Amino acid sequence: MDFKKIDDGQLIQWIARSNSDALSELYDRYSRLVFGVALNTIGDQAVAEEITQDVFMRVWERAGTYQAEYGKVAGWVASIARNRAIDVYRHRQSSSEARSTSLDDLLDFDPPDSQDVEREVELGSQRQRLRQALFELPKEQRQALALAYFRGYSHDEVAKALGEPLGTVKTRIRLGMQKLRQIFDEENG
Amino acid sequence: MPTGSELSENHVSDLIPGYALDCLDSPERLLVSEHLAHCSQCQAELQGYRMVVDNLYLAAPQAAPPPGLKAKLLGDIPKKQPSYITEKPASIWERLRSSLSSNAPAWALAGLVIVLILAGSNLWLWQRGNRLAAAAPGNFRVIAMAGTDQAPKATGVLVMNPEGDQGTLVVDDLPPLDGSHQYQLWLLQNDQRDSGGVFSVSPAGYGSLMVNSERPLYQYTGFGITIEPAGGSPGPTGDKVMGGKLPQSRLLPFRSPRQPSHLSAQVRPSLSARLRPAFQSLALDR
Repeated sequence: MDFKKIDDGQLIQWIARSNSDALSELYDRYSRLVFGVALNTIGDQAVAEEITQDVFMRVWERAGTYQAEYGKVAGWVASIARNRAIDVYRHRQSSSEARSTSLDDLLDFDPPDSQDVEREVELGSQRQRLRQALFELPKEQRQALALAYFRGYSHDEVAKALGEPLGTVKTRIRLGMQKLRQIFDEENG
Repeated sequence: MPTGSELSENHVSDLIPGYALDCLDSPERLLVSEHLAHCSQCQAELQGYRMVVDNLYLAAPQAAPPPGLKAKLLGDIPKKQPSYITEKPASIWERLRSSLSSNAPAWALAGLVIVLILAGSNLWLWQRGNRLAAAAPGNFRVIAMAGTDQAPKATGVLVMNPEGDQGTLVVDDLPPLDGSHQYQLWLLQNDQRDSGGVFSVSPAGYGSLMVNSERPLYQYTGFGITIEPAGGSPGPTGDKVMGGKLPQSRLLPFRSPRQPSHLSAQVRPSLSARLRPAFQSLALDR
């Protein structure tokens, strides 16, 4: 079986049957995404490695629970990575393990000009349009969205992290989401 | 809390982006959840924003992990326990079971009977407090909940009243979670996942939850419990730790204590009354 030639959904089915070669191929496809999410959230290379390993271990254990009607495999893997990274981040915060990080350096989405051609072809034009849309948002809106998405912060936590009034942060997140929603609706409508 | 301007025309439109992103505080989240339960317009809005959140990963930064990580992963298969499940101390219940291990089957059965009786009597007392007027008697329904690989020792029952609008969940041996997580009960029907509430467990893994449902509980086909951020999530996102199905042919009848039968009127209340203090003291000791 050449796993490089089968789609993500079939790959998951093979992983559910405990085929480690299938897991190896899934890792090749999405380890950059998982490691990137973890590193962006935590800011610590060693911890991001642990999270990445844990995420693929969970995929190995839970592949049988994946349901295609709920979304693409990439989104499923990314949601596991995001949830796991947020869990670890909160745990480290509560135990004072986290080192101080610069929001400007760490918490943002991938800028459109950082992509390489190969990855862009792989993930499609929707990714490019989404990233373009995100970077057309005012930086303040994008940063508030990034804190809520990557760190799982509440409005109040975002406001404290940014040193901004709560109402201002609520407005930024709402306006940012409305703009992205508009772009999705235009593409899908 | 939202202001009047945020709730234009009694809808919660301005809060839905934050709800989809799961960044509302608890009162706001509760407000939106309650509104969504009966507003199709806001449900459609939420779907649109969830599509945005579900696709934000496309814009997540990517970075190459170190070369040796893949080999380490493949070498570490199979599993390990998630670190946010805290180490659980041995409980009195566990020590008791251990000391009586030679009679394990009998004690396991006795434990289940105690849980069933306690769950049923809890629900009965709870209902009696809420509704003094007598309702039509009928059969309680009991759904057995079993632990998944994430919580293989967990056991539990969901008892629903004859009308199906109220139930009580009792679980045991669920791993205690850290302060930022809680368990959340999900009511399952095809692709639909309705929240049945969130709960925590004692250090020994015991927990209970009263469930109110606008829709009769017996109309759901199954029930699941996942680990979610404290306060709960709009939909299941974390590990599934327990589950139970409701096949119509396998319902276990549990006669209401109010029912005028010899068994319920004479035996079960007195048995329950005798067991309750012992069980409660056991729970308090954990």
